[in-house]
Amino acid sequence: MIERLGLSPAATPMENEAALWLVLVLPLLLGVLGAIARPSRTWPVAVAGLLPLLALGWLSSQVAGTTGKSGVVELGDLVLYWRVNGLTLLLLLLTYLIGLASALYAPAYLRDDVQALTWGQAWFWPLLGLLISSLALIWLAADLLSLYIGLELMGLTAVGLMLLPGKVEALVAGLRYLLLALVGSLAFLLGISLMLGAWGRLDLAGLAEVAEPGVLLWVAVGLLTGGLMLKAAAFPLHVWLVPVHAWAWIPVSAIHAGLVIKASFFIALQLWLLLVPEATVAAWMIGGLAGAAVVWGGVKAWRSAKLKEVVAWSTVSQLGYLLLAFPLLIGTDAAVADLAWQGTWLQLAAHGLAKAAMFLAAGNLILATGAARVEGLAGASRRFPLSLLSFGMAAISVVGLPPSMGFTAKWLLLHAALSGGHWAWMMVLAVGTLLSAAYVFRLFHYSFIEDAPEAEFRRVPWPMETVALLLALAALLLGLAAEWPLTLLRGAGDEP
Amino acid sequence: MSQGWLPVLTLATSLLVAPLIFALPERAWRARAVVNLSAAVLKILLVALLVLGFYQGRDFVFGFTVVEGASFLLQVDALGLMFAGLSSLLWLATTIYAIGYLEDSPNRKRFFGFFSLCVASTAGIALAGNLFTFLLFYELLTLSTYPLVVHRGHAKALAAGKVYLRYTVTGGLVLLLGVVALYALVGDVAFGQRERLADLGPDAYPLLTVLFLVLLVGLGVKAALVPLHGWLPRAMVAPAPVSALLHAVAVVKAGAFGIVRLVYDVYGISLVHELGLLTLLAAIASVTILFGSIRALSQQELKPRLAYSTISQVSYIVLGISLFGPFGTIAGLVHLMHQGLMKVTLFYCAGNYAEELGIHRIDELDGAGRRMPLTSLAFTVGALGMIGLPPVAGFISKWYLGIGAVQADMSWAIAVLAASSLLNAAYFLPIVHRLWFRQGPAHGRGRWPEERHLGRFETSTWLLLPTAATALFSILVGLLAGVPFSPLDLATFMATVEYLP
Amino acid sequence: MPPFDELLLAVVLLLLAAATLFDRHLVRACCWFVTFALAVALSWAWLGLVWLALLELVLGAVLTGAFLFHALGVMPTATQPRGLLTHWHDPVALPWQRVLMRLFPALAVLAMLGLALMEVSSGSGSLRPAGMGLLGLGLWAFALHHHLLRRLLSFNVIGTGIFLILMSLVDSRALAVAHGLVVTGLAVALLGTALGALLIRRLEALEASHHVVYRTNGRPT
Repeated sequence: MIERLGLSPAATPMENEAALWLVLVLPLLLGVLGAIARPSRTWPVAVAGLLPLLALGWLSSQVAGTTGKSGVVELGDLVLYWRVNGLTLLLLLLTYLIGLASALYAPAYLRDDVQALTWGQAWFWPLLGLLISSLALIWLAADLLSLYIGLELMGLTAVGLMLLPGKVEALVAGLRYLLLALVGSLAFLLGISLMLGAWGRLDLAGLAEVAEPGVLLWVAVGLLTGGLMLKAAAFPLHVWLVPVHAWAWIPVSAIHAGLVIKASFFIALQLWLLLVPEATVAAWMIGGLAGAAVVWGGVKAWRSAKLKEVVAWSTVSQLGYLLLAFPLLIGTDAAVADLAWQGTWLQLAAHGLAKAAMFLAAGNLILATGAARVEGLAGASRRFPLSLLSFGMAAISVVGLPPSMGFTAKWLLLHAALSGGHWAWMMVLAVGTLLSAAYVFRLFHYSFIEDAPEAEFRRVPWPMETVALLLALAALLLGLAAEWPLTLLRGAGDEP
Repeated sequence: MSQGWLPVLTLATSLLVAPLIFALPERAWRARAVVNLSAAVLKILLVALLVLGFYQGRDFVFGFTVVEGASFLLQVDALGLMFAGLSSLLWLATTIYAIGYLEDSPNRKRFFGFFSLCVASTAGIALAGNLFTFLLFYELLTLSTYPLVVHRGHAKALAAGKVYLRYTVTGGLVLLLGVVALYALVGDVAFGQRERLADLGPDAYPLLTVLFLVLLVGLGVKAALVPLHGWLPRAMVAPAPVSALLHAVAVVKAGAFGIVRLVYDVYGISLVHELGLLTLLAAIASVTILFGSIRALSQQELKPRLAYSTISQVSYIVLGISLFGPFGTIAGLVHLMHQGLMKVTLFYCAGNYAEELGIHRIDELDGAGRRMPLTSLAFTVGALGMIGLPPVAGFISKWYLGIGAVQADMSWAIAVLAASSLLNAAYFLPIVHRLWFRQGPAHGRGRWPEERHLGRFETSTWLLLPTAATALFSILVGLLAGVPFSPLDLATFMATVEYLP
Repeated sequence: MPPFDELLLAVVLLLLAAATLFDRHLVRACCWFVTFALAVALSWAWLGLVWLALLELVLGAVLTGAFLFHALGVMPTATQPRGLLTHWHDPVALPWQRVLMRLFPALAVLAMLGLALMEVSSGSGSLRPAGMGLLGLGLWAFALHHHLLRRLLSFNVIGTGIFLILMSLVDSRALAVAHGLVVTGLAVALLGTALGALLIRRLEALEASHHVVYRTNGRPT
């Protein structure tokens, strides 16, 4: 696993680190620029948004052809570690794409939809930039200190973004989020402190070598995992997620559900694979939680009365699929682990794209109907087919029906579960599919009602429609082109 | 390798029409009709090219890897061609019919968009070269038919849509599990590589039996095998062209086609025989045939009666392939085509009666033969075919089925066949009798429920033309069964060259 | 360093923390917190970690204190505090089952930590027990208090406890990394407190304009 994560000593240092810094800092700089310029049109954002993608292209051209690069940053006595490999590149690309989609959606949204306070609008851009930068830091970091910095930056920025609407409900929900995020960060800090005290180092590759199983390691990993799971809204620590999403701005919800909670999952999985690669029983317990998350999230999404709540609960449920990575990757044989490895990252990407698209499309629908409730969708298929189409395509990926990326990911996970003989995890996936179909088609059910009263509806600005549609199309059609991201992923390590 | 693109093009004609239609404004019905019809004609031409190339012995294969151990594969074989031919032919007919049927009704853009997607999925199912690809299009079919089933948007349609989804999504999931398990067992198997499973040896037989049953359940939902048929009669609330296509080619046939693929191309008939599953298949088919026929008898409305008749008729295909021998195989395969033609005719007729005269119940049909002679003639042809009277296509299917049953030493199947034919006659002949020999509004007694004068002829030309054409075809494939390129010819070729040990 | 001084420091820290967390008057509790932060800075200086001491002074005592008082609406110019929250009383009385339920995670963490620390033999002195004590106090308060400000206070106290444990664990090789951790942790604590304080003010403003009392524990009353 250490090779797959790009942490093996074989990775060579990079000659020119400029691309790396650019990838890290550029989103933040653009965010600050956005705060000054306050774009009210879409095209300047689109132009600016291309720059990080170009920087990423530069970075990947430097990594191309190798199994990955790694290096250190020295600040006096303090040494920070980083690495770039196929997985990192994939995650960076995903982050930039979803970030760009949120940014493109925002000008029209902020102009048309929100009677937002001016300070809220001003803060949006730098916070978004900072959020993307901190995510990039998390993907790149290869030591616990950098991860801690990235995680805290991300967490606090996310809280800040959630508070921007300034409504009472948003504030109350944000307050709860803040407290739980702080608790999570304390647990994380305590875990790191224990590791540092015991082994005197925090770089992941080094820790993987020197860490020896024992009470200390278990307590440390337990604390780290607990903190991360709280931030990832993993069952049963998910209570904060839904109220937060119910009131947040749409582009913020999109990037939060699409990426932020996945970052915590990424760190947790990485730690487990490196530090406790043989902890089968514990991994099964996480698998049990995953099953509970899938079922509970699905049932709650099914019963939810509001559109955004459906989408938010579906995030809880879908995260369960990701958590299945623990039992499928830890303590299983190479063939199973290989399939599960690909399936997990594909699921992460699929859910990121699909959930972001779903939030954006849901935002369009809410804006168009003026109703936040599910019943408000009545007749939507006739009156705003495009928004519904975007929503539908994203939803198909969430359910995991072909040809979406969600389907391909589910196929891989199922394949892994079946070839390893893990019937329980197969059942989780199956039940999850049925439940997600139930809550998604419940929405469609309303949208096809013909004899609904003709309510007034607003036109949705075209950039918002287009962004949602493109993102949904990506989630839908990349399923068949999954070989490309998977090749990138496989380039991450030696062929198994 | 330019030839690999031909199946892709065939698929793309209907797949790419869908976004085009969605992009056209709702009012542009002329443009939409032109796009629809030209795509349908183009598709027929492409399928004809495929048939031609296939007879010249060319291989059409297109594939790429999707994920490790699963690839997207389109390939052309005789069975697929037959299904593709049927779907492209009926797409054209049904498109014409639907243009007439939906004139001036709302949501036509949505209807035709999803209609094209539905046909694209059918084409994909026909051309799929392995189970993974098959599954892709099978699920896509579920997705694209749901908006068609709930098209009218009233409470009954929505309830039917809910039931439809409950069945098909669950069935799709079961199929997915089965396919994944099969892939985990033997890897990526293209259709036709039967030896891969047979090579596993007797140790794997219990596992293979279980897998077969899982796959059968997954496919049986769409094929409406009893007891998985509950969605089909309810889905009758859909507009007539949808019911026609759903029953003739798209959904029900996709299930039956999948079962044929499963038996002949994945497991191989010998292996299924060895596993002892053919008897089970025959038993299920027989139960479904009789159950469908008996339930059809008790239906008072025209469309539900046709729906139960479909449940019964589609199982002839399953019965045919479960008779281990060339004639049974031929019967099953050829019925795939014949039943489609005849059933689509019957549904068109039902639609015509409903549109022109507002007739939904059977007892309202009295004397309709005088008011709508062509439609009633077409209905009579279809009904006689279903009963199995020569020279309509249905006769050929039943004849071969009978011989097959004798060959396979399953004489009880003949009893089933006879009973079912009697039942068919019992629920179709009274309708024919009412049409022609009873006095009704056309003779000055009472009034039609809701009469409209849709066109110069007995009804709108758009509605009449496809009805007459498919009826004619049903007779032609029966009359010209011995001619090369006829369905029977194709089926015989398949049965003797490809499928039998 | 004579153990007596250290012991004294530890006891002072614990007492100040207890005062911070259990004073029923919020403004006074915040005053206690500033004193506590000053004592922490003093102990860092005592240990020879001058940079940390300075940072604790600036971030922990001055800035965090400023934000806390801002949340309460206490201004240097105004002698009377204006905020609505100054008269809040915590802990809210709970049935004992709820208390146990809330305390359980805290106790579990403490037990786990104790087990883990028994494994590590390096390091010495009374810093570690002091850290554990702070942690325990903080967790207790965090679990049982409802008010956001009190929770922020306990959060800061827990953070300090963790820093103390961390510093007692590391040897000289890892000092740089440990500094990095503590600095990040301090910054996070400050930012968290700042966000919380701004949030409280905003909520109060909204409550005043909407005439709804949301109480900062999230439930409208």
